[in-house]
Amino acid sequence: MGAIYAIASTTLGEAVRRKVLLVILLLGVGLLIITPGLNQLSPRQETTVLLSFGLGVIQMIGALVAVVLTISLIPQEIERRTIYTILSKPVQRHQFLLGKFLGSLATILMMMALMTVTFLLVYYLSKHSLPINLLAGPPLFFLQMMILAAVAMFFSTFVSPLVNFFLSFGIYMVGNLANPLFESLSTTENQLTRFGATLIHYVLPNFANYNVQNPIINPGSMIANTQVYNLQVILYAVFYTGILLTLAVVIFDRREV
Amino acid sequence: MTAAIRTENLTKTYSSRWTGKRNVVNNLNIEVKEGEIFGLLGPNGAGKTTAIKILLGIIYPTSGQAWIMGHDCMDVQTHYQLSYLPEKPYYYDHMTGAEILDFYARLFHIGGLERKQRIEKLLEQVGLAGDARKPIGQYSKGMQQRIGLAQCLLNEPRILFLDEPTGGLDPVAHIEIRNLILQLRDEGKTIFISSHELSDVERICDRVVMMDKGDVVKEGTLDELLAGGRVEVIADHASQEMHDKLQGNGAIVSLSDGRLIVDVPDDGSVNQVLDLLRTGNAQINSVIPRRKRLEDLFVETMTGGGV
Repeated sequence: MGAIYAIASTTLGEAVRRKVLLVILLLGVGLLIITPGLNQLSPRQETTVLLSFGLGVIQMIGALVAVVLTISLIPQEIERRTIYTILSKPVQRHQFLLGKFLGSLATILMMMALMTVTFLLVYYLSKHSLPINLLAGPPLFFLQMMILAAVAMFFSTFVSPLVNFFLSFGIYMVGNLANPLFESLSTTENQLTRFGATLIHYVLPNFANYNVQNPIINPGSMIANTQVYNLQVILYAVFYTGILLTLAVVIFDRREV
Repeated sequence: MTAAIRTENLTKTYSSRWTGKRNVVNNLNIEVKEGEIFGLLGPNGAGKTTAIKILLGIIYPTSGQAWIMGHDCMDVQTHYQLSYLPEKPYYYDHMTGAEILDFYARLFHIGGLERKQRIEKLLEQVGLAGDARKPIGQYSKGMQQRIGLAQCLLNEPRILFLDEPTGGLDPVAHIEIRNLILQLRDEGKTIFISSHELSDVERICDRVVMMDKGDVVKEGTLDELLAGGRVEVIADHASQEMHDKLQGNGAIVSLSDGRLIVDVPDDGSVNQVLDLLRTGNAQINSVIPRRKRLEDLFVETMTGGGV
């Protein structure tokens, strides 16, 4: 556990100094600060615009941080040869991979927390109130980013960072459309299309489960049992991440570095 | 006594679509005794770093086996007994010297107080105590190499693998690192060096193996390998007759103002030279045996004597 913690904290320390991530974070914070100004686009739906844009920024910037950070973690260690010094210590490859992943998660959590605090502040200053359900979105987005980081980590064990970037984002986009895509294609007459839709639905991670903007933005839209729903999506994220990391370990364990 | 490092038919094969199968390390059989400094030499692409990576369990051999202190080298537990300084090492440059040592010490599960004490001691030993709070990004190459050696010593290893430990260092840093290696040998550590710096290897190694294209082409102790050099004899009051008699049989002879300088192969012919000089009443001033130089042997071995 000590080795995993040491690798994770070093990964976090290095990640928060990466200029590209800081620029992405600054972009997110900047967009959140100007959010109240967007009310002019739709003066009658001020709150809706503020909420949907703010939550959207947290989600998109979170996804960008998750992918940009995670795709380079393993390849960079190999390229700089830091991995040799680490693996020559009593460190198993799975500990190294897990440490890197947890460091990446800690970075994502920190950056998303910073954006959330900024958004809450901006919302409060703009509306002089703070609806409690606003806090439901970011934690679910974080779970979404945990799966996305696991996807990127899995691919980083055998593809280049550039290919990984497109693969991870491609899966993120398809996974966000999983529910409507499956619903529309599963009723089609064509068996092959139906099979393909079912396969994608079960194999690719369902990122759409974590898009809870609608109940937050529109009070009319409700989740029947919030506690059960939250438990389900937490278990789903943990299970899916676990599967991806296990596969990543199996591949990385045999890989020549 | 168990060998510190032993390999048996260790082979690593890489396959490429363009070049087909290629043995980067081919049936490597070596045995390194505890407490010796062992040198692995060879030109670029000889397979030295690949061999080290296999011994460290970083890559897998295609066939054959290797043992560290009697245990399979793929067993991560062996890593408690060894350390590795890679060629051109890179450390997280946002960390200070003390922080990087703390990071590596945590990987060995060294507890808080002991960790702190060991780090302080090592920083002192490698001469970086004054720069411990400086980010590694600001370290010179020599300082980075010294922090690299410090991280190698954190676990008080019995075996050190040093890949080009003095490569690219200025002369002062060069000597410092070399002395540090000798000091470690005196402390009883086994040191496995891969290097191009043949003068260093000649000065510090007990035994060497030369590799070329994955194969071992020469091995032995330095005394064995560098024996059979030449002997220089200097004598005064020598005559032209002596000069003429000594010519030939591989001897290089020069005579100037009665001073005769004879350079002969170290194969017993020096006795004949000395006998001749004594018989002719010449005054023998010096007899200097000169070993072969490792550099000459290396070039001779790698080029088949063609240079």
